[in-house]
Amino acid sequence: MRNKIKSQRFIWIDIMLTLSALSIMQYFYYGVRAVVLSGICVTVSTAAELISLRLMNRKFTADDLTCVSDAVILSLMLPAAIDYKIAGIACAFAVMIAKNLFGGRKNMIFSPAAAAYLFILTSWKKDVLMFTAPHVHTGVFDKASELVSSASHNFNTTGKMNASDFEILMGNISGPAGAVSILLLVVAAFILLLRRDISSGAFFGTIVGTALLAAVAPMSVTIGDSVKYTLASNMVLFAAIYIISDRRIAPKNNYYAFFYGFFIAVFSYIFVLTTAKENAVIIISVLFTPVALGLKNLEKRIDDLAAKEETALSESREEEKADEQ
Amino acid sequence: MFLIAELVVLLTTNLILTQALGTSTLFIAAGSKKNLLWTAITITVFTTIGSAAAYFINRLLPLSMGDFRLLFYVLAIGILYVLLLAAIYFADKKNFETTRKYIHVSAFNCAVMGTLFIVTGRAAIYSAVNSLSGFMIAGAEAGTGFILAAFILMAAFRRLCSKEVPAAFRGFPSMLVYLGIISMAVYALT
Amino acid sequence: MSNRKNSVLDGLLGDNTVFSGLMVISPVIVCGDTIANALAVIYAFSAITFLSVMINSFVPKKLPYTVKIIIYTLVSSLIYIPVRSAAVHFFPDVVERLGIYFMLLAVNSLIVVQSEAKFFKMKRGKMVLSLIFYILGFDAVMLITAFVRELLAYGTVYGRIVDANTLIGGLGMPFGGFILLGVFCGIYRSIRAAIRHENNGAGGDGDVSDS
Repeated sequence: MRNKIKSQRFIWIDIMLTLSALSIMQYFYYGVRAVVLSGICVTVSTAAELISLRLMNRKFTADDLTCVSDAVILSLMLPAAIDYKIAGIACAFAVMIAKNLFGGRKNMIFSPAAAAYLFILTSWKKDVLMFTAPHVHTGVFDKASELVSSASHNFNTTGKMNASDFEILMGNISGPAGAVSILLLVVAAFILLLRRDISSGAFFGTIVGTALLAAVAPMSVTIGDSVKYTLASNMVLFAAIYIISDRRIAPKNNYYAFFYGFFIAVFSYIFVLTTAKENAVIIISVLFTPVALGLKNLEKRIDDLAAKEETALSESREEEKADEQ
Repeated sequence: MFLIAELVVLLTTNLILTQALGTSTLFIAAGSKKNLLWTAITITVFTTIGSAAAYFINRLLPLSMGDFRLLFYVLAIGILYVLLLAAIYFADKKNFETTRKYIHVSAFNCAVMGTLFIVTGRAAIYSAVNSLSGFMIAGAEAGTGFILAAFILMAAFRRLCSKEVPAAFRGFPSMLVYLGIISMAVYALT
Repeated sequence: MSNRKNSVLDGLLGDNTVFSGLMVISPVIVCGDTIANALAVIYAFSAITFLSVMINSFVPKKLPYTVKIIIYTLVSSLIYIPVRSAAVHFFPDVVERLGIYFMLLAVNSLIVVQSEAKFFKMKRGKMVLSLIFYILGFDAVMLITAFVRELLAYGTVYGRIVDANTLIGGLGMPFGGFILLGVFCGIYRSIRAAIRHENNGAGGDGDVSDS
């Protein structure tokens, strides 16, 4: 038990380290406003966590710091120039409605960041999907003068990316800063997979599913471009690491988790292909929550049956031994 | 790809997730998994056959008597209600007491009545739906949507009623919020 | 005496039609996004339910359950016709906007389920009072939900613009209705539990569920 608690805290530290690296990149491209945005998200989330835990008569422990990582994940999915109030509302929704209303960290149903992202996407679509171009630094209290649509939007509608491979790797394209820094995300995925902080089954399922579909039904002229751009756009890699492979949500067994991730990827790819819907993977991951829960129920049932069978087997062995004696 | 497209259509036209029709019935049946599934199946029978009845009523009822449509739909569902009860009674007398409750819960509710009006509205817009088979398929689709919503709720049922959920939100309130978030994702798809 | 008073008031507070019984929730979720809509639904629901239950109370109790339920719904469908005609005069725009939800009020759970399960087991005087409070319970929830949703989603109160600079458009959508109703339902339960706990003195088990 103690080891389990310890390992959960280490997972949180690892995730926070990778998120911090993405936040530094966000600062590099969008300036101090991006850092202030993350700060506001963390502050609102922590306050919401404290208030809701108090209402639930529970104590705030180190494990409850997951609200901070959820807040940073959310801030990395948003444009740096977004209204702070929208980000604040999203964080309050994530903690109070999507997480603690269902019992908090011990009874997670939705990914708080994904649910909150959808909440603001449905209410402030333009604010969530319009971005400042990279290297355009907006003042802390200023409004961005010129907003552009994301590189993902351009890819979904034209099948092309107007950026070199190097720029895509470095995240020098318009979009949510945390989700477009591909090189950093690859490094983050590598570290988190090695440290077993994320579900490897769900992660590889998502990547394999997306790559397979991008090769079978390409969105670009060449299969190579289709696979490359599909993985780099629409927050696919970011969602694969921080949302779909979240150990709190994904099925525990890697075999089930693989298919969970695979089908999310297949559905979201087809959705992007047919409707050009931006960041469909986040929407589909929330819609797949019942699937994750169903698979977890199945895992529990199998575990229970296995435990019963084992007890029966050991009992019969003991009986046999007693008979022999 | 076709299957996925069909599943997306089932979600985006889902009576419960997009129009909240039949939510009360879903919650009433949510007491047990068995109840939920059988109620959903019975509702599908009602929506499918009821839609066929609605097709004939629409053909026979003059436009000037539009306000009486509800009355005739209720009459049709009432007749279907009696016929289904009779069919179950003669088919399986032993289990009649157990199975009849699904018919009682499923007959007159927003899911069934709403489906008849929605299919009628759709037929007025799309001529392809305006046939007996079109009505029945649309009715069956609506019922299947209810079954899908039942599965969505069933998957989370144990967690929504868990002791970890704050007492005030345990059960129905958390079910409403859970369906709300799923419904939000469906809305984001459209 | 006090017990009798409590049971009559149940529909409004202790056993609220929407929050506790989870009845008639689809109109609240879909139509309860503005006060104008809410008023039209309140009018139709109150008129159809009250008149239907009153007339249905004269249906012979000896009839089989199924036949009685069919008669109840046929009566409410007949009452719907004049109620709709009047609504077209009072709320001309709203009736069109509410569409099928207006008609579906005629098959609401208070008429179809609760009449037989609750109201017709009471004496007539008590039944009338209890019915009125159950109807008021729905009306109150509809009005409160509509007020909050209209204010937060559209920045208006009964169509008048108020000074709100951040509007949460999603709350005007059905999913917003689901979420807000779930939250209100939880708040209602905790308040009810606190009141019951206070009335019963210390030592309550903290159970706030409706089951």
